[in-house]
Amino acid sequence: MTPDPGAAETMSDISSNALSDDVIAVQRGPTPTRSKAVYRAFGATLRSLRTTLARTLEKPTTIQYPEQKTPVYPRFRGRHKLHRFEESGLEKCVGCSLCVAACPAECIRVVAAENTPEHQVSAGERYAAVYEINMSRCIFCGYCELACPFDAITMGNDYELSDYTRSDLIFTKEMLLAEPIERTPLRREGE
Amino acid sequence: MPRPEQNFISFEIDGREVRAPEGMSLVDAAKNGDVEIPVFCYEPKLGQAVGACRMCLVEIEGSPQLEIACKTPVEDGMVVVTTSDSVKQAQNAIVEFLLINHPLDCPVCDKGGECPLQDITFGWGPGRSRFIEPKRHFEKPLELSPLIAIDRERCILCYRCVRFSGEVAEDYQLVFLERADSTYVGTHQGHPYVAPFSGNIIDLCPVGALTSNAYRFRARPWDVENGGSVCTLCPSQCNVTFTVRDDAKVLRVFARDNAKVDDGWLCDRGRFGFQAVHAPERITRPMLREGGALHEVSWERALSEAAGGLERAGAGTAALVGGETTNEEGFLLQRLMREGLGSPHLDSRPGGALDPEQARALGRPELAAMVPDIDYADAVVVVDTDLQDESPILDLRVRKAIRRFAVKVVLVGGRPGALDPPADAIVRTTPDGGEAALGALAAALAEVEPVSVPPSDRRVPRDPAQTPTGGLDERQHGEPERQGESAGRERVDDLARRAGTSAEAVRNAAAALRAAGPTVVLWGERLSDGPRGRQGVAALLALARALEIPETEGSGLIEIPSGTNARGLREAGCLPGLGPGLLDAPQAGRPAAEIAAGLGEDLSALVLLNADPLRTHPDRAGWKRALEATTFVVAFADFESETVAEHADVVFPAESYAEREGTVTHADGRLQRVRQSIAHPGEVRPVWSVLAELGARLGAPADPPFLTSPMVTRAITEAVPFLAGLTLEELSGKGKRWQERDAAEAAPEAPSLPQADELEEPPEPVAPSNGDLRLGTTRSLWAGRETEHAPILRFLAPHQRVELSPQDGRALGVESGDEVEVSRNGSSVRGIAALRDALPPRSVYLIEGTAQDSATELLDGESTTVTVRRVEAE
Repeated sequence: MTPDPGAAETMSDISSNALSDDVIAVQRGPTPTRSKAVYRAFGATLRSLRTTLARTLEKPTTIQYPEQKTPVYPRFRGRHKLHRFEESGLEKCVGCSLCVAACPAECIRVVAAENTPEHQVSAGERYAAVYEINMSRCIFCGYCELACPFDAITMGNDYELSDYTRSDLIFTKEMLLAEPIERTPLRREGE
Repeated sequence: MPRPEQNFISFEIDGREVRAPEGMSLVDAAKNGDVEIPVFCYEPKLGQAVGACRMCLVEIEGSPQLEIACKTPVEDGMVVVTTSDSVKQAQNAIVEFLLINHPLDCPVCDKGGECPLQDITFGWGPGRSRFIEPKRHFEKPLELSPLIAIDRERCILCYRCVRFSGEVAEDYQLVFLERADSTYVGTHQGHPYVAPFSGNIIDLCPVGALTSNAYRFRARPWDVENGGSVCTLCPSQCNVTFTVRDDAKVLRVFARDNAKVDDGWLCDRGRFGFQAVHAPERITRPMLREGGALHEVSWERALSEAAGGLERAGAGTAALVGGETTNEEGFLLQRLMREGLGSPHLDSRPGGALDPEQARALGRPELAAMVPDIDYADAVVVVDTDLQDESPILDLRVRKAIRRFAVKVVLVGGRPGALDPPADAIVRTTPDGGEAALGALAAALAEVEPVSVPPSDRRVPRDPAQTPTGGLDERQHGEPERQGESAGRERVDDLARRAGTSAEAVRNAAAALRAAGPTVVLWGERLSDGPRGRQGVAALLALARALEIPETEGSGLIEIPSGTNARGLREAGCLPGLGPGLLDAPQAGRPAAEIAAGLGEDLSALVLLNADPLRTHPDRAGWKRALEATTFVVAFADFESETVAEHADVVFPAESYAEREGTVTHADGRLQRVRQSIAHPGEVRPVWSVLAELGARLGAPADPPFLTSPMVTRAITEAVPFLAGLTLEELSGKGKRWQERDAAEAAPEAPSLPQADELEEPPEPVAPSNGDLRLGTTRSLWAGRETEHAPILRFLAPHQRVELSPQDGRALGVESGDEVEVSRNGSSVRGIAALRDALPPRSVYLIEGTAQDSATELLDGESTTVTVRRVEAE
């Protein structure tokens, strides 16, 4: 390919420069004539129109969120859940703070307190008087679930966590213990 | 006992050549070669190793079996292996064995995350257990005392707490009960373990068997930050670490090992008193008296009111400085008073004036002992103080010296104390017979010396190059004068009588001291209080001279003051006649008692810097009158005491010791840094900045202005010659004694120490009439603000206790436990009688500084007699 004279001139200008080795001359195609350009544009439009028309018969892949929701896999890590024992209704969490130690985003805060016979909250000697997760910081890595020695915290499936203020994103123990409104469909077997 | 010389040897451990002092435990010596030998029961602070846990087994070449490293002193040429298969197998077996009965409730246990058992199991354990049988069970959780929770299932029977109770605190309350696998730690008959030092077993426990009730379930190690500081609740100034959560709350205090101050122990007041920092009743906003009541106001308002009031009073202002005040705060206050208001009247001592010459003599480096000198002295003299109540950590230190180093202890004082049982000689005096007793002791020491060993040979002279002459005379050695001998004997007899003791007791004490080398004298501030305080100190200095303290290495005096930072405040210029650096102030001021007399007369305003005269100063009635007569009172206070609630016009919130930034000086001259650990609660501002601001408004502005606490420290080092050039970096960590710095040469000169026969004649002991008794006072470890405002300590707050001898009890018809009334000149206090066999007859002892019925009601600075009467039950 022969560079056009203008380009050659530029090249020679640059080659006189000490940095010429680093400079790459951009090679352009021939400047199209007007009639060729019109033909090309028309052809491209037709080709894309063919694709569009071909898809009009297919079912749409988008879903109507929020009326419709994408089902998630069973191991999807969404909003956390705290659990109670089914028989006694006592909290499984004993406030050991291991989730705090495991959390890489430092979004969990636990303040423990002591159970009394009159006020038995958890099964052990201690319980979590404060259990807060700052959802605006959480990276949903699931380490808290792994660290928990009592399976008291698990990652749920909810991903709809947006809110209007940051402080509302600090989830308290009551919120985490409450049965989440099942809004997120699970992906079925083989789906 | 002389200081042991360290003879370094070399031995081999895991193939490395390591050097260590001969005789050191192999566990410690291994650390020199970066080899860690796991231990549970080994703790050098507890004395001899006992080898209870068997965790430290190692292989030593030449020994047919594995040896425990903790009880093996390292020897030259020893070859030790800690990584062989047999050692590993033994370690695995011990860990598996210890875990047989350990419940593994780590998630619930307070020790989790900082637990030696967790760490050692992880590092040296087998990883799995073969034990499937049921574990042993105990009732849990249980309270060992209101301060300590015990979980016996977690206990691995390492013996540390029992050893602490028996061999360090010597309260002998904790024991192993039952035998074999039923063994558990407990107290006799299940009594709660309440003792001044009980909290230390929490730090000692290598598992979670003993945990603090104050810290129970409060936080995990990863939830908190630890900050080092100094406890300023008593003159011991122990090094502590604050455990802080969320930068705002102190959750726990534990010891920060400093062998030169506290030996790694803490008293329970220091360990649990921190709760007062977060008491809801604490003052956290400035207040102003309007219409008879205190109202919270803005800082600007409070500052301008305070500045206005003090400006009006001008030179008619007086100030009292409380013992917890830092050097910086004290320095700024004396600057404000002397330079801003032109008033020299400020005092940091509650009990009476200290003569400037004597203050300088007491400040001389050659008269100062340091705390570790107690260990290596031949004898310790304790004068007019009960260490366990007034400086608890030194009580442990003296006990350690007696137990480990066979130090002789001589007690001089009126009230039997905790150190009586191990003491070698006791000179029991009348309540204020300290002066006469010391004079008698100094005179007795000058009596004929035993021919066998002249004491001067037993004493190692100080390095002459390091001994500043200080105007102190060389003591004349040689043959004692034969003619003066009988006169000397009579003098000893006479002085002993005036002290209310027997000449025999004095001679016994003198005999114990005469044979001794280096001697440390621990003396209570009480000796220098009252109208005869000057003579009391003179007698002390004469004793120091008789004991050759200035010339002997390792000898010295240590004051046990009533206020934490008494020495620092004295050196920063908070005595009426002394400016910074113990130099004469341009104008002599009045001591506390005279300030009280002058208030309402020519003094019209009073600044109380962490001081509460109605509680701590003698002559409560006089102070009450004085405060009522005062037009304007500015108080820096953390709680609404009676003084504040009824008399203060402007109240500035004081910082707690966890919020302060500054330096304090230990009684042995060690400057230490108090570091801020938590944020100021409410609107509390640093006290130094408030004082600097008041100074700027009242004509004592600094150039450049004080913007930070270190700038104030710097101003002190510029004003005090013997602190010249001191930097805060030098003080970091373990502090620094100013006597050990080059600038100590600039310490002010003092006149020579008085001879025993130059002392003024002490007065005849007060002769009580009609069954009256001589009044003596004592302090209680628990009589303080912390006890009342820390919820966990509240159960220890003392009621007034009236201590009588059984003879007096019989004469008055009083038995232990009866309620009695002690009265004098129309004022009276009530208390519960306690008959004590060891108390000399005709004396009665009451506690100073209790919340109610404080002995200060009855004191007016003079020695007094009181009437004791049984209160009939209604």
